[in-house]
Amino acid sequence: MIKQRLCALVFVCLFGLGSCQSVQPWQRGTLAKPEMRLEVDKLGSQLYSQVYFSKEASSGGIEVAGAGCGCN
Amino acid sequence: MIKARPSPLLALSTAALSLPVFSASQPAEIELSIKTSVYKEGDIPAHLFLSGSNERYDIDIHQFYLLGPIARNWSLALSGSREIMSGASPWGTVRGIDGKPALIMSGATIRESRTEVSIGVNRYTNHASFGLAITRSTENDYEAHAIVLSGEWDFNNKLSTLTLGLSYSSDDIEPVDAALFGRVQKENKHSRSFSIGWTQVLNKTSLLQSGVSVTKHDGYLTDPYKLRDSRPDERLEWALSLRYRKFFENRNGALHLDCRYYQDDFGIQSYTLQTAWYQNLSEGIQLVPSLRYYSQREADFYLSVDDFSLPLSVNQSSDYRLSTYGAYTFGLKGIVSHNNWSVSISIDRYISSDRYALADANFKHPALLDFSLASLGFDIRF
Repeated sequence: MIKQRLCALVFVCLFGLGSCQSVQPWQRGTLAKPEMRLEVDKLGSQLYSQVYFSKEASSGGIEVAGAGCGCN
Repeated sequence: MIKARPSPLLALSTAALSLPVFSASQPAEIELSIKTSVYKEGDIPAHLFLSGSNERYDIDIHQFYLLGPIARNWSLALSGSREIMSGASPWGTVRGIDGKPALIMSGATIRESRTEVSIGVNRYTNHASFGLAITRSTENDYEAHAIVLSGEWDFNNKLSTLTLGLSYSSDDIEPVDAALFGRVQKENKHSRSFSIGWTQVLNKTSLLQSGVSVTKHDGYLTDPYKLRDSRPDERLEWALSLRYRKFFENRNGALHLDCRYYQDDFGIQSYTLQTAWYQNLSEGIQLVPSLRYYSQREADFYLSVDDFSLPLSVNQSSDYRLSTYGAYTFGLKGIVSHNNWSVSISIDRYISSDRYALADANFKHPALLDFSLASLGFDIRF
């Protein structure tokens, strides 16, 4: 089951990479918009991470774990 | 219709602006962000608890973040948060007269606070950046220290970015009223975490980030405030994540789509799917509706009702956070920007239930929670 999910993720990544286009520097204006950032709101992301970390069993993903708290 | 090609100067400016979005570039300005939030959990219905208080947590949260260049190729980041909380928390469950789990809550309202401070530096080269950050979090019964190392490398004309992260955290807990309630006097745990991510520009309007994180905890992982709680002294967690961003020129808006698969050796599996739509309305005004879905499967040692007949050496926990359930978060955010500053206001509503889970739950845990979160934020660059 885990292997299937891993394969699915790898497939999605490869599909994404496979559909890449060359984007010249002067064509990156849209990508530079604030709403296109991976993390638009630094403090908002920290807040949601802390809330979900303390109220749900899961954490992690893209970034490493930070300092813990007595909430979990 | 022939579109005019941007001037070289504009092209260079645009390119320079685009770099900090996803690659390792030094900030050119000082960024200051502050945010204040109010978090409120719904009270426990009277028929679901046997003793204690049914008023759950209210938390006031104040945060700040400061980032700026400090020398050639260096930047400094400072952040802090202060949480002031009050309310009762679940102590355990017993079987109610209807045969379903009923809650025992803490009697008196708990009042406490948490303060977290973090400082970090980054060093930038032409195609990479390296970061070091330390964090300290203190509560009246809990203290944590963490160190984080990170690195980013750009490839393929800055269309691809590799991200690596390493962290170590040491946490100490000294439960209050330990002698009175027979709790442990002092315990500690250690956590080590590793992450790797790859960000790829797909085309002029979209990008994709994929990542994996692995975290190992060892030490005291039990909740000392529960009446009966005994957990393994090791936990290995791993998570796979994808984040996708796509701008729709014809709608003048951006789609955010994030998903995560999580699994640990407690037996917990979870799926998280989160989406947001950043709609540009008029000049400087954005509206952002969002939706998050979460579903988890219970831990191997989870019991819906505490079993006091089991020896302490047998793992068990009736913590609702280890049960099978699902949850939705509905959010709405408004952002007003002008020149170098912006103000944002947001509200989120979280609801959870065993019925929302992908897996079947035997009983709905009476402590499953609903909460509301409202925030007001201010950002400025100078």
